[in-house]
Amino acid sequence: MKIALVSSFVPFLYGGARNIVEWLQTMLEKEGHQVERIYLPEIDAPDLLFEQMIAFRWIDLSAADRVICFRPQAHLIRHPHKILWFIHHLRVFYDLWDSPYRGCEDDLRHRGLRDALHQADTAALKEARHVFTNSQVVSDRLKHFNGIDSEVLYPPVFDADRFHTRGMSDEIVYVCRLEHHKRQHLLVEAMAHTTTPVRLRLCGSSSGTTYPDTLREQIVRLGLQERVLMENRWITEEEKVDYLADCLAAAYLPLDEDSYGYPSVEASHARKALLTTTDSGGVLELVRDGDNGFVAEPTPQALAQAMDKLYLDRGRTAAMGERALARLDELNISWSHVLKRLLA
Amino acid sequence: MKVLIVNNMAPFVWGGAEELAVHLQKNVIEAGHEAEILRIPFQWEPASRIPSQMLMVRAFELWNVDHVIALKFPAYLIRHPKKTLWLLHQYRQAYDLFDVGQTNLPPGAAGEELRTVIRNADNESFAESRKIFTNSEVTRQRLQRYNGFDAEVLLPPINDTELFGGGSVGDYIFAGGRINDMKRQYLLLDALAQAPRNVKLLIAGPPDSPADGERLRAAVERLGLSDRVRLDLRFLPRATYAEYLNGAAAVAYLPFDEDSLGYVTMEAALAGKALITTSDSGGILGLVKHDETGWVAEPTAAALAPVLADACGNAQRAAARGAAARSLWLSLDINWPHTVEKLLR
Amino acid sequence: MKVVMFTPGLKASAIGRMTTLVVHALRAAGNDVTVVRSEQDALMSKDAHDFGGEVLQWSNLAAVGAAVAAADSVVYQVGDNYEFHIGCLEWLERAPGIVCLHDFFLGHLFWAWAHHHPARADTVLKSWYGEAVASTYFRHPNSDAFIAATAEAAPMTEWIGGMALGVITHSNWGAERLCRACPGPIHVVPLPYNAPAGSDATSQGNSRNFHVLTIGHVNPNKRVDSVIRAIGNSPMLRDHTIYRLVGHIKTDTVVSLSGLARNYQVNVLISDELDNAALVNAIDQADVVTCLRWPSLEAASASAIEAMLYGKPVIVTDVHFYSELPDDCVLKIDPHNEIESLQNALEQLYQSPELRRQLGARAQQWAQATFRADHYAECVTNMAKDVSRARPALVAIDRLTQTLGRWGAGTDLLSASHTADPLRLFTTGGNPRN
Repeated sequence: MKIALVSSFVPFLYGGARNIVEWLQTMLEKEGHQVERIYLPEIDAPDLLFEQMIAFRWIDLSAADRVICFRPQAHLIRHPHKILWFIHHLRVFYDLWDSPYRGCEDDLRHRGLRDALHQADTAALKEARHVFTNSQVVSDRLKHFNGIDSEVLYPPVFDADRFHTRGMSDEIVYVCRLEHHKRQHLLVEAMAHTTTPVRLRLCGSSSGTTYPDTLREQIVRLGLQERVLMENRWITEEEKVDYLADCLAAAYLPLDEDSYGYPSVEASHARKALLTTTDSGGVLELVRDGDNGFVAEPTPQALAQAMDKLYLDRGRTAAMGERALARLDELNISWSHVLKRLLA
Repeated sequence: MKVLIVNNMAPFVWGGAEELAVHLQKNVIEAGHEAEILRIPFQWEPASRIPSQMLMVRAFELWNVDHVIALKFPAYLIRHPKKTLWLLHQYRQAYDLFDVGQTNLPPGAAGEELRTVIRNADNESFAESRKIFTNSEVTRQRLQRYNGFDAEVLLPPINDTELFGGGSVGDYIFAGGRINDMKRQYLLLDALAQAPRNVKLLIAGPPDSPADGERLRAAVERLGLSDRVRLDLRFLPRATYAEYLNGAAAVAYLPFDEDSLGYVTMEAALAGKALITTSDSGGILGLVKHDETGWVAEPTAAALAPVLADACGNAQRAAARGAAARSLWLSLDINWPHTVEKLLR
Repeated sequence: MKVVMFTPGLKASAIGRMTTLVVHALRAAGNDVTVVRSEQDALMSKDAHDFGGEVLQWSNLAAVGAAVAAADSVVYQVGDNYEFHIGCLEWLERAPGIVCLHDFFLGHLFWAWAHHHPARADTVLKSWYGEAVASTYFRHPNSDAFIAATAEAAPMTEWIGGMALGVITHSNWGAERLCRACPGPIHVVPLPYNAPAGSDATSQGNSRNFHVLTIGHVNPNKRVDSVIRAIGNSPMLRDHTIYRLVGHIKTDTVVSLSGLARNYQVNVLISDELDNAALVNAIDQADVVTCLRWPSLEAASASAIEAMLYGKPVIVTDVHFYSELPDDCVLKIDPHNEIESLQNALEQLYQSPELRRQLGARAQQWAQATFRADHYAECVTNMAKDVSRARPALVAIDRLTQTLGRWGAGTDLLSASHTADPLRLFTTGGNPRN
């Protein structure tokens, strides 16, 4: 089949939003399909929104048998066989309207714009043959705001076979960008409350903020230099595989993220138990407390308790790691499932 | 710098412009920048859609981009304060092809309106560009004639120079490139039939259509040349193409009135091979100087036959002309680092 | 909300006067209003109404552009007069908004605009009314013939309606065309007006004379000659009536009406325009006000409303807006039997001061309860909320249209089906499968 993958993008910003498209392209091409990838530039500024959406409506992809759309407002594309793998809305006009993130006045003009956007989105969503999302959180929002039913289709990681387990050290790893909303600082604080020799490794790049400095200061202030290792740099795929292969368990505790995050799936492929918090959002669709990991209250004390448990009861930790892998099957987190559903 | 290369896209079609964009990206990165390619789907049928496609590109908002290099209509309509054009194509069906009746624009007032809109939008984009380069002299002239804008010719360099190291003078003439009527490989066969028995010919490349390939095969048979001609009619792997070229006595490329220097000619010159072409080959003559870097013959079998004989019969002469061709090519300074530097000035 | 209100500002505009009432009412309700005067630059030096607050001139593109961009709602007061409403036309397309439509017949507005935009006018005529109408539209020999030929066949109501996000108008008779042309809501709301000198009846005219008054530009459609004939046909009326005309009048009309009056032996007093105080005095002195129209082109009559607010008995033609007035508040005459019908009505009123008093009182009570600015202002803000959703897509389409215009497009290239169909998503909600 000739399949077009369409998403909005910002030039030179890479990461999760592009991975899902590019990995899907590779997997589709492996199956023998012809794939064309279309990235379209888009800015969320309220006064520019509708002109850009009109532009998207004029894109002709009739040469494709099927079109799959990802980030907003790619779902505005017209095609007789349009499939959506809906990642998120323009949230400032939806669930974040009544929040400091709105970025525009709450006056009649902008409320009118918001309502017009909801109407246009809903109409464009209705044009799709099938609507998939990347998490239950997003599916719930689609239903609530647009009245649209959707199927959760969890995004798999690429080349999952490389992940493996080699043993369990004393170290809980958190392989993820060092950013405030990923809350590495909460884990560092928690380390000060632990009673076992459990260790912590934080590794990832940061986008030029002062957060890594804050973390470093915190580690020193709490006297944790011996037990908390921080690597503020881009971690290679090989390094990540190694860290996960050897670690005690993997942490992933962002503040209220929609999707479960690739780190949690990678750790599951490596058969490692997961550590997260009750307010982390989509990752809770993956992690069940006591089953494939621990879901702690987002306090240093509760996290410390969980970390100590992981350290002390290694048998259980290992068993939870095995369950983590099995859970991926339970949720159909696999490329074969993705292809089956998208090409149905 | 963050450099965005902006090109059209005809979904599922991949051609020379797409190749060029990829090589440009690679070389911009090699020069120390970041580079991405934005490919914009463009649908020009029916012609009444063209305004919407133009408005679509014009409505795009770019941020996090320091410099734009745009290649074709309507991609170059995109807005950015630092935009350089490397013009491969305007919408010729509104310009020179319109004048000769080869257009999808409707006749009468409707077509005129579309031409006006295209021309005005073009001029607006040309005026707001930092600098305009074209990929050939012909494109430059068209731009000057129809839109009144000046441009500098910036020829696309050879992409994988490391493959064309040359070699000793072989015993065959190599004719590379696409196979079709305009490229006139059949003329070489006619000429070969009149040349001495020691002259050998290797024609290799993808036929545009099965009929084009058949024509050559039939000619070889008809002229009884199967012991002196080898045909390898397919899309060649780069290494194979380079091998054929590097091992030749001389390289023949004689299309009718081509716009540019021709990739085959450029690659042959880089490899230090003597060049054979015809007097009506157009841009090719930029590299082929008769009796210096090769031979220029009248476009007839009778005129080409002695040229083929000479190229195959005199290794020293072939080598000398090949060396001269290489010198001339290098003096033109057409290479990627230089190209990137000019585009990003 | 922030409202930008386009309106004629000069005192000669009754629409301008109405707008001052609406602007004050909007402000009283807590809204922020910027007024943009829509009349020709040359008329800006004339005496203007007092709108209070910020007043801009439509041709001040930068200031008006900024006001419009920041507004929650843009409102255009549109009437059939190009000189007074040119600013509305210039801004209506680039700043889509609500139209308050004062005249259903907009032929004069269109005709004058067409002279500056012949190609576009031709397209407008053809697309709304067809080739036949378009080809004869500009060929009528005089104003009367023009009105007669086009009032039904091509009133141009659709032209303005099609450009509005929503329309507020002041009677029902022409609303059908708006419903067909305008993508947004249409509401009929009574036209707000006032009686500036207050509504206390002072004198009841203790002279023996019977004062009949007609106010406004003396055009043929005000049926002045019919009033003269009706009075002239009745000995009782003829002997006692002073028929006063207050309003702008052309010299040759003075001549012809004077001649007619002499023939019919009717006492006609021609006053031309009066200042406010004198006008109020004339109204006060009147026993009866005639507000006749034939043909009737306006959505509502400010002068009829004003007379009613002053508690005067009013005689109207039984057509359009006037037919919608309560039968016990005004006297309606049959336009097809005009003079006889008029004569009867005038005689009735002459003979019965009690009838005059009752009619006037009922009219005043009803008018005060109906033609209210606060109600009108509320309708404007409600409609603004309704149409705020339609605005973003229309503004975006307008910007794209402007780009095409800058590129030299002469026709509407956006209406080609491949181009227009994808945009239906924003107006009608699109199709389930396309």
